[in-house]
Amino acid sequence: MLGKKMLNFMGIILLIAVLLSACAPTATSAVEPPATDAPEATPVASEAPSVTEEPVEAAKPSGKITLWMWKAAHDALTNSGVLDEFKKEYPDVEVEIVEYAPTDVYQKLPLALQAGTGAPDISLVENSHLAQIVALGGLTDMTEWVTPYLDKMNAYKWADAKLDDRYYAMPWDSGPVVFYYRRDVFEAAGLPSDPEGVSEAVVTWDGYFNVCQTIMEKTGSACFSNNKANNYGRLYEMMLWQQGLGYYNAEGQVTVDSPENIATLETLKKFWDANLTSDQLEWTDGWYAELAAETDAKPIATLVEAAWMGAFLKGWIAPGTEGKWGVALMPAMADGQVRAANDGGSAFVIPDQSQNKEAAWALTEFLFGRVDSQVAMFKASDFLPSLEEAYTDPVFSEPDPFFADQAVRPTYVDVVKIVPIAYVYGPYYPEMNGFVATAIQKVATGQTPVADALKEAADAIRAQTGMP
Amino acid sequence: MLPRRLSLWLTDALMYALLIGVSAFMMLPFIWMVSTSLKPADEIFAIPPIIISPNSTLNAYVYLQEQYNIIGIIKNTFVIAFSATILRLFFCALGGYGFAKFKFPGQAALFAFLLGTMVIPSAVTLVPVYIIMRDLKWIDTFWPLIIPGAANAFGIFFMRQYTMSVSNELMDAARIDGAGEFTIFWRIILPIIAPGLTSLGLIFFMGSWNDFVGPLIYLKSPEHFTLPLIIRSLIGPVGRTVYDVQMATSVISLIPLLIIFLIFQRRFVEGITAGAIKG
Amino acid sequence: MAETTVLKDSHLSLSAKLRQKWAEIYKARWPYLFISPFYILFLIFGVYPILFSLYLSLTEWKGLGPIKFVGLKNFELLLKDKVFWQSMTNGVILFFLYVPIMTLLALVLAVILNSKRVRGFRFFRTMLFIPYIMNIVAAGFTFRLMLNQKYGLVNLMLGIFNIAPVPWLESIWGGRISLCLLVIWAWLGYNMVIMLAGLQTIPSELTEAALIDGASSSQAFFYVTIPLMRPVILFSVVLSTMGSFNLFSEIYNLTGGGPINATITPVIVIFNQAFGNFRLGYASAMAYLYFIILFALTLLQFRYFGQQAD
Repeated sequence: MLGKKMLNFMGIILLIAVLLSACAPTATSAVEPPATDAPEATPVASEAPSVTEEPVEAAKPSGKITLWMWKAAHDALTNSGVLDEFKKEYPDVEVEIVEYAPTDVYQKLPLALQAGTGAPDISLVENSHLAQIVALGGLTDMTEWVTPYLDKMNAYKWADAKLDDRYYAMPWDSGPVVFYYRRDVFEAAGLPSDPEGVSEAVVTWDGYFNVCQTIMEKTGSACFSNNKANNYGRLYEMMLWQQGLGYYNAEGQVTVDSPENIATLETLKKFWDANLTSDQLEWTDGWYAELAAETDAKPIATLVEAAWMGAFLKGWIAPGTEGKWGVALMPAMADGQVRAANDGGSAFVIPDQSQNKEAAWALTEFLFGRVDSQVAMFKASDFLPSLEEAYTDPVFSEPDPFFADQAVRPTYVDVVKIVPIAYVYGPYYPEMNGFVATAIQKVATGQTPVADALKEAADAIRAQTGMP
Repeated sequence: MLPRRLSLWLTDALMYALLIGVSAFMMLPFIWMVSTSLKPADEIFAIPPIIISPNSTLNAYVYLQEQYNIIGIIKNTFVIAFSATILRLFFCALGGYGFAKFKFPGQAALFAFLLGTMVIPSAVTLVPVYIIMRDLKWIDTFWPLIIPGAANAFGIFFMRQYTMSVSNELMDAARIDGAGEFTIFWRIILPIIAPGLTSLGLIFFMGSWNDFVGPLIYLKSPEHFTLPLIIRSLIGPVGRTVYDVQMATSVISLIPLLIIFLIFQRRFVEGITAGAIKG
Repeated sequence: MAETTVLKDSHLSLSAKLRQKWAEIYKARWPYLFISPFYILFLIFGVYPILFSLYLSLTEWKGLGPIKFVGLKNFELLLKDKVFWQSMTNGVILFFLYVPIMTLLALVLAVILNSKRVRGFRFFRTMLFIPYIMNIVAAGFTFRLMLNQKYGLVNLMLGIFNIAPVPWLESIWGGRISLCLLVIWAWLGYNMVIMLAGLQTIPSELTEAALIDGASSSQAFFYVTIPLMRPVILFSVVLSTMGSFNLFSEIYNLTGGGPINATITPVIVIFNQAFGNFRLGYASAMAYLYFIILFALTLLQFRYFGQQAD
C-alpha cells in the first residue's frame, strides 16, 4: 500500500515538473528582422503608431531586443526619458532591459558568446573589460555603422573597441579623472578651499602629499582611501594612465616592472608609510560611510576619481553633504606633466548571435550617437558622453549645487580632451590587473619591496600571456 | 575526583553553556540580517548599531513583490528544488542499497570510482556541460538544474553507510517469500531508511534552493529566476547594495526552508526515537 | 583447502570462465540495475566533459575560435604558477584551521543532543541548523558587514571589552580565520545532522551498559561511542577535507580570495582562469593536476583510517 501511493505521488510530481518546465520558453527569442522593403508590423505590445514628423524610412527595424546592463546605467536610461523618445521614433521595437552587476555581465556574456546562444541583443561593457571580450570573438562587426562617429568620440575610447582594424563596440561615456575634495575639511585645515587654490596646491603628487600631511595634522581626517590588503589597483592605474604608461607598451612588451612603473608605485607607497590614508575598501559600505560623514566626523578629505563619481556622490553615496564638495584637477606626476587620466567608461556591444541587429544598432545609435539623447542621459546620471559634440550643450556650463555651485562640467570636458593614450586596458586586463593588484597589496602591507613585488607580477604575466 | 552530584551538575552546566554559546553564534548573523531588512537604508551603519529600529518598515518586502514578482520567483525556486530532491533521493536510495546489501563483481572498483568522482571540481566540466545543454536546447529551462545533479556520489555514499546498518534478516525473509528485488526495496528497505532519506532530502533541497552558480549560468529570462539570483543581483557595485531589500530577500529565502525543516523535524525525531526503542 | 580450489579453477577453459563470469554478472543484475542511474548520468555529464577537458588541457582555447594544440606547455607553466601552489597551501592550512574543530564540535553537540539529558532538544537543533539553510550569498555579505574593521558589529562588541579592533578581513591570518568562522558557522549544523543520523544507529543500551558498569560519561564517550561512530566520522572528515580545497561560494562572497591570496583555493583559481581570463586549456590542466593531488590525498586518508579500524 505504501508502494502504490508513493508511486502515484511521484508520478504526479514528475508530471508537474515536466509540465512546468515545458511551459518555460527556451530562449529569449526575437522576431526575425524584416525584409528591407516591407517593414512588418509585428504583434508586439506597442501603442498606436506615432505620428512622426519626418517621413518614415523604408526599412524601420522592429522586434524585441534585450539589453544587459547594471542598475546605475539602467536608471540613467529610465530617468532621462530617452527610452520613451526612442519608442516614439521606432514604435515597432520593444526594449527589454535585464539588470546584472558588472561582474555578472562579465561572467554570463562570455559564456553565452562561447556557447553560441543565450546572449542578449545588446550588452553594456566597461572599457576595462571591453578589449578582452572583443578579442574573445562572437561580437558583431560594427565598423560600417560606427565609421561616421570615429572622429566624433573621444579618440582614446576606440582603442578598446578595435581589433585588426575592425570595430566591435559603440562608446557611451568616458571617465575623465578629476580631484574631488571636501571644502569643509580643507577650510578646517587652513588650506585654500576654492577649486583654483586647490588645483594649485596639488599640482604634483608631492604637493598632494604635503596637503595630506597638513590635513591629517590639523583635522585628523584621512586624505583618501587606499586599502592595503585588498587593494584593487585602480588608483595606481590612474597614475600610470596620466603618464601614458600602463601594464604594457605599444610594442607589446610587459612594462609592469619598468623603472617608471616602479617609481609610480613608490610615490603611492609614501602615503601608506606616512599613515595618511583610510583603510576602507572602495565600493563597500564603510567607504560610503566615510565619504558621507559630517565635517566633525573625520570624513575622507579627497577622492581622485572619474567624472561619474560625482553623480554617485550626489545621488546615493553622500547626498547629505551637498555643498561641501569641490572639483579640482588631479595632481601631475611632475611639474608640467599631464593632469588627466581615465577610469572606466563603457560601451555597447552587439553579440553576433543577435537575431535583431538592426533594431539593436538603431537603439545604440539613438542613445549614443545623438546629442540630445546623450545630454538627457548626462543630466540624469552624470555619465560624461564620449560624443564630443554634446559638450556644446548649455548643461555643461551649469553650476552644480552639490559642488557649492561650482561649474564642474567644463572641468570634466577640459580633462577628457587631454587624456593621453595609455596601455592599462587591453585584452589581458583582468589578468594583469589581478597580478599587479596582488603586488600592490604586498607592498602596502609591507611584505615585499616595490621592485620585487612588481617583478614577480611582471614575470607571472609574461609567463601566462606569452608577452615579452 | 569531584563528588558525583557536583560533577553531574557541572557536566550539565557545561553542556548547556556550550549549546547556548554555539547557538548564539549561529543566530547572530541571522538576527542582524532580519533587523537590517526592516531598517530604513540610512540606519544600517549607524553607530551604535540599532537592532530594532523605531522606524521599522516593510518597504523592502513590498518593493520586492512590485519590482521582481517575488512570489513567482519563490515558485520557480521551489519547483526546481523539489524536483531535484525527489529525483536524487530515489537514485541515491537505490544506489546506496545496491552497494550496501549486495556483493557483485567489480563492486570495490565501482565504489572507489564513485568516490573519486566527488573530488572532481565542477569548474572543469562547466563549459562542456554548458555546450551539451545548449545542444539539448535546455538553456533557460529548469532541466540543467535537475538532471545532472541526480548523479550524486555523496548521496549514494551517505545512503550506503546508512543502509549498511539495516538488518539482513528482513530482506532474506522477503526473498524466501518470493518477493521481487524491487518490491523488497520499495516496501521493506525504503520505510526503514526513511529517516536517513529525510536528512539527505533536507540537505539536497536546501542545496538546490540556495544554489546560485547553476541558475546564474543557465537561467536567462527574469521570469525564470530563482531567489539566489535576486539576492546576487541586488549587490553593488556599480550601484549601491540595497541592503535592506537584499536582506529582505534573504529572509524570504529562509522562511520556506525553515518551515520545511520544522515540518520534517517531527519525522526526523520519530526516526531517532524509533531507532532508540528498537535497539 | 585454498589450493584445491585454485587447481580446480585452472582446469576450466577460457570460455567456461567467461560463462562463469557472465553468470555471476547476471546473478547480480539487480544491484547493477540499482546503481546504474548514477553511472549513466555520470557518463553523459561527467565522463564526456572530463575527457573533453583532458583534451583541452593540452591546448590553448578561449572558448571561441580555433583550438590550438600546445602539448604539455600548460603543465610546465603550472609547475611554476605561484598562485596555484599558494592555493594548494591554503587548502592545507584551511583544513587544519577548521576541520578538527568543526568535526569535534559537531560530534560533541550531536552526542549532547542525543543524550536526552538536555531539555529543548528541538529548539537547539533548529538553532544549530539554521545557518546551513541560509543563503550563502547573503551570509557572506552579512559576515563581511559584521567583520568590517571599523564599523562591524564584532569589533564594536569586542571594543566593549577594550579589545583593539581586529583586522578580520584586512590581514592574511585574519582573512583565513574569518573564512573559517564563516565555514564553521555554515556547516556545523550540517555535520551535526550527519553525526546525529549516525548516532541513532548505535543502540543506546551499549552506552547505558557502560555507564552501569561504572564508566564516567567521558569514558563512555571515548571508548564506546567514538569507535562505533568511526564510519560516520570518517565520512564527515573526508567530506570536509575535500570541502576545504573546494570551498567556493564562501570565499567568493566573503573575501574573494584575498587578502593577498591568503584565502584563495584551487577551485577559485581554476574558476578565475576559465571564466575570468578565458584560459580554458590552462584551467583544464590545473583542474587535472589538482584532481590527481586530491585523489591521492583521499586514498591516503582511507588507508590511514582503514588501518586504524583494524
